[in-house]
Amino acid sequence: MFFRILRESFIRNPARKWLEGASLALGMAIATAALTTALDVSDRMAREFRRLGANLVVTPKSDTLPLEIGGVDYRPVEQGAYLRQDDLGKLRTIFWRLNIVGFSPFLEAPAELDRGPNRFPTRMVGTWAAHAVAEPDGGVFTTGVLSTHPWWKVDGAWFSEGPSAAPESKRTDAALPEIQVVIGASLASRAGIHRGDAFVVHSSGHDVRLLATGILSTGGAEDEAIVAPLGFVQQLTGHPGEYRRMLVSALTTPEDQFGKRDPDTLSPTEYDRWFCTPYISSIAFQIKQALPGAEVRVVRQVAETEGRVLGRLSTLLWLVSIAALLASALVIGSASATTVLERRREIGLMKALGAGRRRIVSIFVAEQFLVALCGGLLGFAAGEGLGYLVGRIVFGTPATGRMVLLPVVLALALAVTLAGSLWPLGRVARLDAAPVLRGE
Amino acid sequence: MFWRVLRQMLLEGRGRLAVALIALVSGATVSAALLNLEFDAERKFTRELRTLGPNVLVRSAAPVGTAEEAGAVFAPDALEAALAAAGQRAPASGGAEVTAWAPYLYAIVRAGSDTTLVLAGTWLDAVPRLTPWWRVEGSWVADRQNPAVCLVGHQAAARLLVRPGSTLEIHYGSRSASLEVAGVISTGGAEDDQVFVNLAVAQQLAGLPGKISVAQLSVSGTPEEVQAFAPRFGAQLAGLEVRPLRQIAQAEGQLLARVHSLLFWSVGLILVLTALCVLSTTAALAVERRTDVGLMKALGGEMTRIVRLFLAEAGLLGAAGGIIGSVLGTLLSAWVGRRVFGTAVSLRPEVIPLILAVMVAVALVGALPLRLLSHVRPAVVLRGE
Repeated sequence: MFFRILRESFIRNPARKWLEGASLALGMAIATAALTTALDVSDRMAREFRRLGANLVVTPKSDTLPLEIGGVDYRPVEQGAYLRQDDLGKLRTIFWRLNIVGFSPFLEAPAELDRGPNRFPTRMVGTWAAHAVAEPDGGVFTTGVLSTHPWWKVDGAWFSEGPSAAPESKRTDAALPEIQVVIGASLASRAGIHRGDAFVVHSSGHDVRLLATGILSTGGAEDEAIVAPLGFVQQLTGHPGEYRRMLVSALTTPEDQFGKRDPDTLSPTEYDRWFCTPYISSIAFQIKQALPGAEVRVVRQVAETEGRVLGRLSTLLWLVSIAALLASALVIGSASATTVLERRREIGLMKALGAGRRRIVSIFVAEQFLVALCGGLLGFAAGEGLGYLVGRIVFGTPATGRMVLLPVVLALALAVTLAGSLWPLGRVARLDAAPVLRGE
Repeated sequence: MFWRVLRQMLLEGRGRLAVALIALVSGATVSAALLNLEFDAERKFTRELRTLGPNVLVRSAAPVGTAEEAGAVFAPDALEAALAAAGQRAPASGGAEVTAWAPYLYAIVRAGSDTTLVLAGTWLDAVPRLTPWWRVEGSWVADRQNPAVCLVGHQAAARLLVRPGSTLEIHYGSRSASLEVAGVISTGGAEDDQVFVNLAVAQQLAGLPGKISVAQLSVSGTPEEVQAFAPRFGAQLAGLEVRPLRQIAQAEGQLLARVHSLLFWSVGLILVLTALCVLSTTAALAVERRTDVGLMKALGGEMTRIVRLFLAEAGLLGAAGGIIGSVLGTLLSAWVGRRVFGTAVSLRPEVIPLILAVMVAVALVGALPLRLLSHVRPAVVLRGE
């Protein structure tokens, strides 16, 4: 009997059920899409922030202070300490290794560009464009300025670190193949060097022939420099396998009150929590442990802005999601209230035929339950689709689907429809059958 | 007659209408709040990103060599004049605007007993505003004329063994100065290894009175405006080079584009879905009115007249929902703005008519299923089938 009434109700007036189900599905789609986006946004925006470049700087613990002005270190090459390149694979063994997006070691040397009668003082900057670093566990990680300095633009091609850059180029006779480099845009235009030109540079007591495979424009001090493969500059300056400065780009969580505390003051449990959260300070600490003799500094300019903007954006999206959720709940609640209110006549008839209040309520609740289940499922699927689409459009990669949201959305759909229908149902079920049937 | 029936309908069906009104109001509230936020959020985030600090450098056009003193120095008279002129013009012209700037003069000096380091002369009082991410232990310097104080980078401080309150000797050639350490700064950048003094002190020490090495400008505006600002501003400064810092400018542009598109799409999506949701609710309402339609028909009402009646009802409902909703939505966006950005978002009056129009349209479209009721046969409906 119960099920027959239920079935009849769905078959006899499908339009009503369709409309209620549709508004429910739409409301739940809003909720799902908004929650999916809000859950994902911090991670994805953090990745976008890596366009600002490195947020950690690794330097050797040295006995002299760097003399850096406008991005150029004026210390003589002989002065100061160096770090070992062989250790770099260890960066991929720290706890938060997957959060290390990239790193680029740098070694610089003063140089003089020889163009016939003119000589141009400049610098050689040795680094990696895209270098394969062997990890201790046998893997390979490709990194370099392509991942840490995304704003560097090369007209032409990056140098290749082929065998031509190998150590034996210490002899400087012209028969040797030229070393491939990229040359800074301002220097290139002053010296009249174009893409594909070969030229001679005097540096660290050697004359070397270089080939410009591209013109580099960075908007920074490198516009005045020659950027060469790290291995070559190491050989030239007599510091094989060493570097002086490294920039690391890491994905981090914005620092909250806990993250700003000094790790030395934390209790063991708190320390574990700090260590296992990708705060920039804990990543810096882990890098320092992995690289002996290194000093790791947080580039606060980037880290603080990043934290603030990420925090604001995710609060904004959470509030937007909650507002959208509340609104759709109210809309759906009122839709279910309407359907119940409009069916007073039917309820009156049931009462006249001897149905008890509990019976009537249970029939209606079962109906609403079915509608909520279907609408909720449909809405969840549609919302996931929309979240996917927004992810694709905004970030280029789709948002990850979250099945965790399914029970949340279904529970929400049920709560909303029941809350919307119970109140009018109670009112209607209390009425006397006769006046209702008479249409009063 | 029409109006009497309409009034009766509104009065009699108070409970039902109140329920429908809740749906319309909540839809309108969220839409109004989101539109308000969407218009303002991009400007708010642009301002947040300005905490990245200076994004434009002005320096001598002469190439930087490998000489000890970084680059050629220049007298900033022309720059100051151009900045003053730009400051007067800015409010009218809109676009890029210099919000803060400071001159820098660098010199490599000896400090303490025998430590070589970089001395930077600037306006010490301008530092916290231009580069807000610097942290200081001790205190900032509030006076750009004070010749006896300095700020020391924390790496340099560790090397020199100085703390806030200590005294530091600086030597350059035969000249020297004795300074009190006001604060120890930490920035994560090259500044950690440097000592900062007021500009006049550095100029006097280096023997370069009235000269600076570089000026750092914080320019507000969209990245395109900043890019366009550089050559325009540079044209007024002969012999100087105005260079936007691409690292900052470009990242800022891309981040803003992302934030903008994120907000645009999520807000757009929620708006469309909310409208549809409200629509299906009003449509459900309309379908439930079969009995009323049947009764009116039985009493001899023409279908066009009946539809007009119901449309008028729906329109009024939509208008009421739209007005209440936009007021609530404005309040909501003001609250969210204060919650997220700390300052209220500026309110957009054009949102109110927009929301009103959308809500009336949604309510009217939602009432359209009534037209489908034209085939309703009064007898059947009234019998309750």
